[in-house]
Amino acid sequence: MELFGETLSDIRKYIEAKNGNSWAIKGRVNAWPSGRGRNVVLSDDMALELGNPRMNSVSCLIWTQDAGLIHDGKISLIGPDIKESNGKSLPFGKIVLAQVSGFDEETTYDKYKEMETVRYSLDLKGYMIRAVSQYQREWSRISKEAVQNGFSFEILAQALRTEYLKKDYIQAVEILFVTSSAGDVGELQEITKNVGRKISALNKMLSEIDPDCDECEYNDVCDEVDELRGTRKKRDEKRIGTNG
Amino acid sequence: MDKKTKTIALCGKGGVGKTSVSALMVKELARRKDIKVLAIDADPAVGLCTALGIQIKKTVDDIRNDLIKSIKKGEGQDKASTLNTLDYELFDALTEFNNVGLLAIGRPESEGCFCKVNALLKDIIQDLAKNFDVVLIDGEAGVEQINRRVMKTVDHLIMISDTSAKGVNVANTIKHLAEDNKAVNYKSIGMILNRVRDENEVKDIGKNTSINILGWLSEDNLIREFDFHGRSFLDFPDEAGASKTVKQIIQDLQIN
Repeated sequence: MELFGETLSDIRKYIEAKNGNSWAIKGRVNAWPSGRGRNVVLSDDMALELGNPRMNSVSCLIWTQDAGLIHDGKISLIGPDIKESNGKSLPFGKIVLAQVSGFDEETTYDKYKEMETVRYSLDLKGYMIRAVSQYQREWSRISKEAVQNGFSFEILAQALRTEYLKKDYIQAVEILFVTSSAGDVGELQEITKNVGRKISALNKMLSEIDPDCDECEYNDVCDEVDELRGTRKKRDEKRIGTNG
Repeated sequence: MDKKTKTIALCGKGGVGKTSVSALMVKELARRKDIKVLAIDADPAVGLCTALGIQIKKTVDDIRNDLIKSIKKGEGQDKASTLNTLDYELFDALTEFNNVGLLAIGRPESEGCFCKVNALLKDIIQDLAKNFDVVLIDGEAGVEQINRRVMKTVDHLIMISDTSAKGVNVANTIKHLAEDNKAVNYKSIGMILNRVRDENEVKDIGKNTSINILGWLSEDNLIREFDFHGRSFLDFPDEAGASKTVKQIIQDLQIN
């Protein structure tokens, strides 16, 4: 099984069960004005806050090399869109699903790090993002002016997709947003809880000279996933080869 | 053209009313709807927060200490992830009111040298600062701490002094230290005199210092009362003489 095969399947079931809205992004060009590097939105200027540190929040990136599993340009939204939201602060879930190619044991982690920086490279006027990958949390704010000018999840998704597709190893991008309730975001947290652990396992495998698999805290996820087992096997073979 | 951030750092001898002047400046800047202001309380005793009547949730040093603890526990991340985490934590540590974000530096408590952590935090503070039109730093007496813990370059370095020879001497010394040691790069330097009883005092002091006097505040019972009762300077009346003086100084600094 691929690194996130089971998670991807669970996300599909989740989207179906929640019966949210799904549609395709129109166009490939991000036309939203730039914030010219100034994208702090203070609460006084803020129309909506998503996933603040005292609310449920989950955000992660899942990739697959299977072209049939990702519907390029598709947005799924469970809960209200930005302009329809009641209240200033909502729990938030955001999952980016990417179809990639050319990932192998040597390059996967580095490519993940590159993909991870994409969300920080967005420069959309009136949109602020803060995120902690380690805890899979994302906190964003949208200014009153941006909402008045029509900022929506489609605009955000379009900008994200445009940036991801600049990487030559990404062929398709699909995005899920959840704003409906803390419970729905909590369910998504549960589904994706091992995503970060699998990435950490991959990093540990590639960065530590002599990790002890029996003592490793990621032992369970490594045993579960073919791709991680494969990486571990290749690493061990390489080590034996080097040591003669 | 992209807007440039203007940075103002206030320093001076302890007890001369530096924090009250800083608080009055923040109050004046907080009225402006057209600008975003980052106020940094770099005094370990978080005096500016107290003067503004604001209870802070978290200081930069709390973030620093948490990071050091996680590194010691072996939970360190790579540099990019650490920077993003610090950026998240730093924004969460901001107390917001009107157009102002208030950040308290706090007191370092961990033992040992964590220069890399301090450098990362300084980078993040500088990155955050670029998002604001004005950054106002209420510092300790010296400028070294502003450099060490907040930023290396400021636009306006402002000394606060009372009319005592000691206060003015400290201001002169800070200026020389800033110049000789290159502790802080600045574009302009000036002084605000506090607790002035007679305009002649200002003239006399002007003769004994090479620092440009930007303005002066009279000995003011209302400031004393706000200090004494711990009232928020955000409620200080606009029509009071001190408010008008501070407003004029800010206009002269061309904050726009």
